Amino acid sequence: MPDETVRPAWSQHFTPDAIQELVAHGPFAKITPEWAWGNSTGKGIHVAVVDSGVEHDHPALDDCVRGGVIVEYDAKAKDYYRVKSDDKPADVSGHGTACAGIIHSIAPEAEIYSVRVLGRNMGGRAIQFAAGLDWAIENNMHVVNLSLSTSLEEFFGLFHDLADQAYFKNINLISAVNNIPEPSYPSLYSSVISVAAHEGKDPFTYYYNPNPPVEFGAPGIDVEVAWNKKQYLSCTGNSFAAPHITGITALIRSKHPELTPFQVKTVLLACAANTKRQGK
Amino acid sequence: MKSDPNDYEDKVSEQLKRLLVSIEASGRAVLPGSNDALLNSIVEAAARIFGAAAASILLVNEEEQVLEFKVAYSPSDSGLIGTKFPLDKGIAGYVVMTGQPIATSNVNQDARFDQDFAKSTGYVPESILATPLLSGDRIIGVMEVLDKIDAASFGVKDMELMGMFAQQAALAIDQSQQISHIKEALILGLKRLVMDEQDSAELFSVLEESLDENSGVPHLLELADLFKEISTLGEPERKACLQVLNVFAEYRRSSTSSRRFR
Repeated sequence: MPDETVRPAWSQHFTPDAIQELVAHGPFAKITPEWAWGNSTGKGIHVAVVDSGVEHDHPALDDCVRGGVIVEYDAKAKDYYRVKSDDKPADVSGHGTACAGIIHSIAPEAEIYSVRVLGRNMGGRAIQFAAGLDWAIENNMHVVNLSLSTSLEEFFGLFHDLADQAYFKNINLISAVNNIPEPSYPSLYSSVISVAAHEGKDPFTYYYNPNPPVEFGAPGIDVEVAWNKKQYLSCTGNSFAAPHITGITALIRSKHPELTPFQVKTVLLACAANTKRQGK
Repeated sequence: MKSDPNDYEDKVSEQLKRLLVSIEASGRAVLPGSNDALLNSIVEAAARIFGAAAASILLVNEEEQVLEFKVAYSPSDSGLIGTKFPLDKGIAGYVVMTGQPIATSNVNQDARFDQDFAKSTGYVPESILATPLLSGDRIIGVMEVLDKIDAASFGVKDMELMGMFAQQAALAIDQSQQISHIKEALILGLKRLVMDEQDSAELFSVLEESLDENSGVPHLLELADLFKEISTLGEPERKACLQVLNVFAEYRRSSTSSRRFR
């Protein structure tokens, strides 16, 4: 039977009229942005950017890129992909550099790793994406930025398994929801932190949506971003909202290394701009 | 009684011929007169709904590693159809590489936008919204709307809605490509089969004939076009056509059966 539910556009939860005021009670009311990430720089946190690559020598990145890998589709290889090491990563489009630049602007001492899974291939993208995520999980990353997704149902199980592996290894996956209001994986799983765009400009002002699957809204409209070939551009899309939450998560993880992925999400909710702290 | 091998071959030939015709005819009946008509209607609707001055669909040509304008809607038609450019050029190229949609304004200052190419088309837009056309995991093209009329740039809501239009366009393109691929593959496969069999000259000639304009195939295709046209009429017209056809079929059935048993 076809799904008769008309899915809401993901970003509609974050328009000024739609944002709902939430209240934090009891001990949750004591969690403040100052406690959560005040004075944190993201030091010691490894952040993987699974994307089109990251231009390691872009001036906006201040040499924060520590290395990475390139995942290529190969119909003849076992499991249909190959992973090559990429010590001085480049970006084939600019999309990954834009994400890395946003993360670095929020968490300047976080160490960024480029996991290039996008390129001039027309097919096999979901396999590359899954392999890239698998690499990030197996290589001591703390936070993984996923400004991409797949809507292929046959990958539901594989990505779900990867998201579970990440969760149990204390890795936060931050996933941009698809710009098309249709199912997209892994952004719709409960264990990941899913992000859509809102119109605001302040990088630390984000909102929580109490009607998931999309849980967080961060700046993603006309955002000034770093681009490949040492350039800067103005872009719109959920892709550019997710790295804001990735940066903030890196700050929280750096300051509070004992926190688990579900505790990080609790802290993010408590510090959302639409959460009122009781007694504040 | 042992059956005559020539009879058998005739029957196979007949069946293959019908198969080829039905593949072609079903493609005609399911899709609009030409696939381009549907795509044109999609881009025109997109341009109007998003308040854009122009809209277009570009398809990936993997062999040549280029993007090619398939359809374009613009008040001043600039004859873009068929124009090709490298996969890694411009906003559309970016969308193909990343599989991600993008909205940008001040395109004139955007490094991803190929200025020379745009100027050569006689149209340099201020704002663009471009989204990938996906067939499963494969990027088959890009749909874009250009120059938002009542605002400086396209927003996230435009992007989300545009994604739904792109899905429609991708489905239409995918369907027509599949039908044409099936037909090509079938003809190729059958030809190879025939080449292996020394005595199958009859089969080969049927295949040739099925592609020949002078064969009966064009008549059947005409019929398929007629059915398609009828399907777009109102309910009373459809019923009337069905009644006429039923009467004709009934007449044919009764006349052949009476001949057979006479």
